[in-house]
Amino acid sequence: MASASGAEPVIEVEGLTKHYGSVVGAQDLSFTVQRGEVFGFLGPNGAGKTTTIRMLLDEIRPTAGRAAILGLDTHAKSVEIRRHLGYIPGDLALYPNLTGRDTLTYFANLRGGVDWAYVNELAERLDADLSKKVGNLSSGNRQKIGVIQAFMNRPDVLIMDEPSSGLDPLIQREFQNMVREVAADGRTVFLSSHTLSEVQRVAGRVGIIRQGRLVTVESVADLRSKAMRQVELELDSPAETAVFAAVPGARDVMVEHSHVRLSFDGDMGVLLQATSEHHNIVDITTNEADLEEIFLTYYHDEEVTD
Amino acid sequence: MLTTIFTKTLRDRWLGWTIAVVSLTLLTLYGMAVYRQIDLSILTSMPEAYVALIGIREDIDAGGLAVQAINGLYGAITLAAMALALGASSIAGEERDGTMGILLGNPKGRTHVLVSKAGAMVLLAAVSVLILWGAMYAIAAMLGVEIGGLDVEALSLHMFVNVLFYGFLATAISAWTGNRGAAAGVTTAVLVLSFFAVGLLPLIEELKDLVRAFPWYYFDGSDPVYNGVHWGHLGVLLAAAAVFAIIAVIGVNRRDLKGQSVGVTLIDRLRGNPLTRKVIGQLAGSARVSSIWLKAASEYQGLLLVTAAVMFLMMGIMMGPFYKAIPEETLSAFEGLPEALIALAGGGDISTPEGWYQIETFGLMAPISVMVVTVAIGAGALAGEESRRTIGLLLANPVRRSRIVLEKSWTMALYAFAVGFATFAGVALGSLLADLGMDVGNIAATCLLQTLLGLAFGALALVLSAGTGRTRIAVFVTIGAALVLHLLNGFAALNESMADVVQWLPFYYYLGNDPLNNGLDWSHAVILAGLALVLIALSVLLFERRDLRQTG
Repeated sequence: MASASGAEPVIEVEGLTKHYGSVVGAQDLSFTVQRGEVFGFLGPNGAGKTTTIRMLLDEIRPTAGRAAILGLDTHAKSVEIRRHLGYIPGDLALYPNLTGRDTLTYFANLRGGVDWAYVNELAERLDADLSKKVGNLSSGNRQKIGVIQAFMNRPDVLIMDEPSSGLDPLIQREFQNMVREVAADGRTVFLSSHTLSEVQRVAGRVGIIRQGRLVTVESVADLRSKAMRQVELELDSPAETAVFAAVPGARDVMVEHSHVRLSFDGDMGVLLQATSEHHNIVDITTNEADLEEIFLTYYHDEEVTD
Repeated sequence: MLTTIFTKTLRDRWLGWTIAVVSLTLLTLYGMAVYRQIDLSILTSMPEAYVALIGIREDIDAGGLAVQAINGLYGAITLAAMALALGASSIAGEERDGTMGILLGNPKGRTHVLVSKAGAMVLLAAVSVLILWGAMYAIAAMLGVEIGGLDVEALSLHMFVNVLFYGFLATAISAWTGNRGAAAGVTTAVLVLSFFAVGLLPLIEELKDLVRAFPWYYFDGSDPVYNGVHWGHLGVLLAAAAVFAIIAVIGVNRRDLKGQSVGVTLIDRLRGNPLTRKVIGQLAGSARVSSIWLKAASEYQGLLLVTAAVMFLMMGIMMGPFYKAIPEETLSAFEGLPEALIALAGGGDISTPEGWYQIETFGLMAPISVMVVTVAIGAGALAGEESRRTIGLLLANPVRRSRIVLEKSWTMALYAFAVGFATFAGVALGSLLADLGMDVGNIAATCLLQTLLGLAFGALALVLSAGTGRTRIAVFVTIGAALVLHLLNGFAALNESMADVVQWLPFYYYLGNDPLNNGLDWSHAVILAGLALVLIALSVLLFERRDLRQTG
């Protein structure tokens, strides 16, 4: 994906730490996001995603460490940064007695204007109703207003905290298209989520955070290649567990008469050859690796090493 | 504390009631201590008409003064206000917060919810009245003040029933309409109007009997602290409260519950109409969101409008002709009253129109009116955006935190001046209509000081809001501070040994130099304005440094 387009850091985070008394909100986070990249920030609820994002926005100040956006310090140059920033806070709240258009006008005025043709185009793509009072919109429709206000100034950097919550699948797909377009345009997207399937569709790299600590930063492709596949084989004759368990990379082999199910992260050719030495294959299904499983694997590993 | 809706309501509300009761108890302590030192023999020469005006009897003593002032006036109003706040949000509050659905998702009926909340209100009121009753005796015994001749029990019972009346009135409106603002607003209007009506109407012979139309009359019209319980009056209030309760039960069961939604206002309809769309769209839409301060202004324009109208019409214009209607004999009885007595009555000599306006308009209502607006803006400006979680989006724009504080302070200052101006225009017109011949420049001076005083307290609310991010703290602490400082100022005027203290009280720089008679003392205006500016500067510092809160 777009991560190849250059090695110019847009978001730099170094040793970023936030403690609330004895509670750790974020601990020693360090990562870099390059220009034109869509960076996914993944973690379960309460992992520290929002805390990190709020530090990037200078809503809260780090206990230790620093962060820079577009080479500017997030605290000292916060206002300058925000000229180039689009933001959707997690758990979005808007002014209930303003209409969508009023809301966008307000924020446009604070920035010194906006391209209304582009706003209307965004509203059309997301099927957003700008004439209703925000307080009378459903949460998904309210979220659309939040998405529009983040995109409408064509910001250089987009920081979005669980942006697609409440959006229906069709609108989510449109939203993902919009994210890809921003990246293709050489702009940068930082996207937090706990829904992995959503991030893997748009992100080039992901950082995984857990209990305030960064577990790993890897490309989606690398993560996938490491991942287990679920393989199911339907054979013409009853099978034996030992045959499959002997194949390198096979795990959790389960045999039921002529039906075999296993987890597999080895060479698929070896598996097929080993199988066809004993059986004819009637049917084969492999489930593509899902970040969900990788994610759980990472968590599992962490718990073991804890 | 979360086992039932009843106990949850107690848990949510006990702190506010406790603060109220503790403040009132401290006031009792302080009031008795001060009144004890005053030579009250002067009061025996008091004219009859004075009784009607300020409700002080000629044979009154320190204990009587304290009981009447604290329980009969401040206590009664404070607890009625607490009850109306609880009643107004009982059903409508849950609807506004969007929690009504999940609450009724449990196997509890609407009537159950309503009764639980009303029950909590009754219990809180009863306990508060009991504590105040006990405190009154304990403090009197401690200070050696005689209150044995007073029927404190009768007054307490009257107070309790009075609190129920306003609590259930607010509950009924809240339950019937689901509109929290309407319930609180209407009930407050009834409370304020009837309080003033009962104070003012007896001054004019022809209007005297009208007081029976106002509920406050049934609270203290019979002077229960001297005459004992008036069961007829209590019966009226209780019957009314019972009717309100029935209306509430019917109302909440009859209608569709509201979701967490926003009402459609007249302006919204006009915006929808093709004929008026363009003009109204300009006024209500694009104009109000064109900057931070205008947006803040639009949020509080309703409050400003009501407050300014009350000051202009009721406290301003109406008071002039009303003064004219008071019989000459009544007024002449006040001439040459001793200084101490004038101070006791709010620092105004009613035999002159200036003194009249000082007692009725400028003594209490004028500073309160500005503060209602400035404290609402000051407390809501920053902490309000935080508790509604809109601050994140606002600060995603390239604006400094200091700009947000300053723009909202600007709105606060403008609105303070608007209320001050409404007061000025009302009083000047009232004086003109009734041909009272008051000095317009002096009225303007007094209203300027009124504005600046209100602004200073608004700035205090802003500091607390900027420093803590909590609206409730900002509101309650500011109101508490204003109340205590106001009373200290009043007591200090009665007590010569406190002459040095008075210069440290902001209220001194408001009416201390008698601006209605003497005109503006610029140093007083500068001190109040300086105080406001320092507090606003402090707000900027605090808000710049703090981690913003994420949740309410």
